[in-house]
Amino acid sequence: MTSTTLANSNIFGWLLGYEAKRKQLLKKAPEGALRDYLSVPLPDINTLIDKVEILAVDFETTGLNAKQDKLLSVGFVTLKKQQISLKTSYHQIIKTKAQLEESNVIIHHITDSQKEQGQALAIVVEELLKALAGKVMLVHFARIEKQFLTEACYELYGMAPSFPMIDTLVLAKRRLDKRDVSYDPSELRLTNLRRKFQLPEHHAHNALYDAIATAELFMAQMSKANKDGKTPLKDVLL
Amino acid sequence: MDTELSEISTFIHSIPPFDSLPKQVLAQLVRELNINYVRKGDDLPPKGINEPRLYILRKGAISCLSPDGELVSRLGEGDLCDAFYHSDASALSNSQSTVTSQLNVHTDEDCLIYSVEASVLHEIGKRFPSISDYFSQNSAQRLKTKMSQVNEEAILSSTLMNTSVSNFYQSPVASIDAEQTIQQAAVQMTEQGYSCLVVLEHENPVGIVTDKDIRRRCVAEGLATSEVISEIMTRDMCTIDAKSNAYDALMMMTAKHIHHLPVTKHDNLVGMVTVTDLINNEGHNAINLSGIINKANTLSELKEISHLLPKLQIRLAKLGSSADHVGKSVSAITMAFTKRLIEMAEYKFGQAPVPYAWLAAGSQARQEQLAHSDQDNAIIICDSMKPYDDAWFESLATFVCDGLAECGFIYCPGDIMATNPKWRQPQKIWHNYFTGWVETPSPKALLNSSVFFDLETIYGDVSLLNKVRKQLLIKTQKSTLFIAHLSKNALNLRPPLGFFRDFVLKQNGKHKATLDLKHNGIAPVVDLARIYALAEGISSVNTIERIQQAAGTPSLTKASAENLIDAYEFLGMLRVEHQAKELARGESPDNYLSPKEISKLEREHLKDAFKVIKSLQDARQSSY
Repeated sequence: MTSTTLANSNIFGWLLGYEAKRKQLLKKAPEGALRDYLSVPLPDINTLIDKVEILAVDFETTGLNAKQDKLLSVGFVTLKKQQISLKTSYHQIIKTKAQLEESNVIIHHITDSQKEQGQALAIVVEELLKALAGKVMLVHFARIEKQFLTEACYELYGMAPSFPMIDTLVLAKRRLDKRDVSYDPSELRLTNLRRKFQLPEHHAHNALYDAIATAELFMAQMSKANKDGKTPLKDVLL
Repeated sequence: MDTELSEISTFIHSIPPFDSLPKQVLAQLVRELNINYVRKGDDLPPKGINEPRLYILRKGAISCLSPDGELVSRLGEGDLCDAFYHSDASALSNSQSTVTSQLNVHTDEDCLIYSVEASVLHEIGKRFPSISDYFSQNSAQRLKTKMSQVNEEAILSSTLMNTSVSNFYQSPVASIDAEQTIQQAAVQMTEQGYSCLVVLEHENPVGIVTDKDIRRRCVAEGLATSEVISEIMTRDMCTIDAKSNAYDALMMMTAKHIHHLPVTKHDNLVGMVTVTDLINNEGHNAINLSGIINKANTLSELKEISHLLPKLQIRLAKLGSSADHVGKSVSAITMAFTKRLIEMAEYKFGQAPVPYAWLAAGSQARQEQLAHSDQDNAIIICDSMKPYDDAWFESLATFVCDGLAECGFIYCPGDIMATNPKWRQPQKIWHNYFTGWVETPSPKALLNSSVFFDLETIYGDVSLLNKVRKQLLIKTQKSTLFIAHLSKNALNLRPPLGFFRDFVLKQNGKHKATLDLKHNGIAPVVDLARIYALAEGISSVNTIERIQQAAGTPSLTKASAENLIDAYEFLGMLRVEHQAKELARGESPDNYLSPKEISKLEREHLKDAFKVIKSLQDARQSSY
């Protein structure tokens, strides 16, 4: 699959709406995790955001290019009724063949030997899809999660769904853009945004911690933006 | 993947009682946590949460208010909120779904809050009772647990276990040659004041002889005292190496039923340690120091000795002595200084014209003095004194007060000293003073004079004060008005609510940077004890003794008395530890603790102590 068709499928998905795309793909999907995922309806875009079930997700990868680089680890946690439940938290290192570059090891603290003890990509993606069914995905800087997950789905199932997503970075960016004042892009980093909301310092670059950190940030953002509790999902969707 | 949430684990682990949980259990607990974000001004529990939970504040600030709007506590990062927690598992299953609280809890800032369902903690509590105890016990019970731990630790960490026997032995050893007679041994014991001698044969120790041996093996047996000492000595003598710890020495002596144990270093005799040395070792320092004071002949010698007082206090604190013990030791030494100065004055100015007594007031009288405190004293003189006799007493007062000041006991800022003519009076005037205070009390007069309700004779005719006190106590027991005024004064000093972040949280919700242990904790207890004593006619002035004797009277229940003593001892312990640190740094000791130097657990215990004190103050207030 080329990058053009990937882009096309996204536009196609966006035009149709993720729910229509889900139904369409469900007919073609092979038996298994993807089909199971696709068989659960997604929330309507007019649902109040407080009522939507959310899965905060974070990936650690060997690089930024979903075509060449590999998924290293996946972390996620559920955000339901405005509450994160650590019982639902999941973290898994993935066993890949690619040698880890030293610079990446420094960032993720994942070494080759740890990676050897990891799970196969298929199993981890299955777990993620199981948890993601019927939920909206919450990430910070969606490009990584979106592209790597899509790529993984093509690799494993030959097709990829359109995942409804909320991006805390985009939410912050929209607010800043509205003010029409120039700002430093570094303000949009997860750590800096958390600091702005006076959330505690967190240990960055562990997939689960980043997922939790993103979910906390989203709750803080909504405490300001959704004071009356009447914000619909579509207002925050990517 | 337990390590994945290690950061949250570390945070939870820093909070008592979870600090006692093993890592694995902690990891289980962390997986049960929920995270909520509560906007500033909103109430707890967060919307939609009905089941009982324990809340743990991760970020932000929370206020807990009583139903009538009074601030009960303010919570910051790392504080627990158990307002919506049921410690009783059975009550939980009965009430099922909803939780109610006596408190109104609302956020003062945007808050990130962790929470765990009560049922989860109950399960953990089944295996780790320290967790369930923590939440089911009230302030007084928690404090009691803490103080019994402290007392246990004090025994374990006492000198005997941790100090080598070399710190206790007396050297050189009193010895006698085996060829000497029993009579010569008795003479030597009498002259040198020893009850035990080591017997030498060609300079080598071969046995030991005690005064008991002379009684049992010589006199009782009708043996001539002209016999050689080797006839009655104990040959197979036990010895202990100087490197052994003192506890082992005590155990050896107890096992063998002996009171004296020669100490050796590389098999050479270097000293002798006695049971008394070991058992009384803590008091021994104070007794020793008193002994040196009594032998001092000049003021400059006394001044020299006074430098040892802070060292003694540090040592006592390091030994884990209770504040009560430290107070008594330091007070005993101040008393020795005062007595010695009075003796010097009597030598200088001649004998007193009429009988009198030197009185200590305040903390010294209560035996609660610490190093570097100021002097509070007075003189009570026999009614037979003539006006011109006062010149002698004035000289005495000046000499002693100046001397005490030289020795580091600063002049009383309130001029409660024998040098003040007002406090240097015959018995009948003292009697009038007390009658006036009791019969026509004004809060202000009482504030200044309450120090005189804690009086003790240091030197001279004890009966002078005793008579005045006896009549005073008869009056105070009957005078509810007086007790009411005294109570009103005492209630001016209220303990704080607790802590908020690194501040002390006062009753009015304001913050203070430091905790004044004396005025916000210790003094309120001392005041309460004084009230109980005066109301119940108790003649003791020591705070703990007063509380113990008031226990079970209409003024104080036995249970409350125990709680109050626990609170008092805990506060005292913190003060002694705090001052020992300052003294060790060469600073003058004070009562101001920065919350930063108080551990989380100590803060909890302090809060408990404050609660106990406040409840007894409230009880006092409502009785008038």
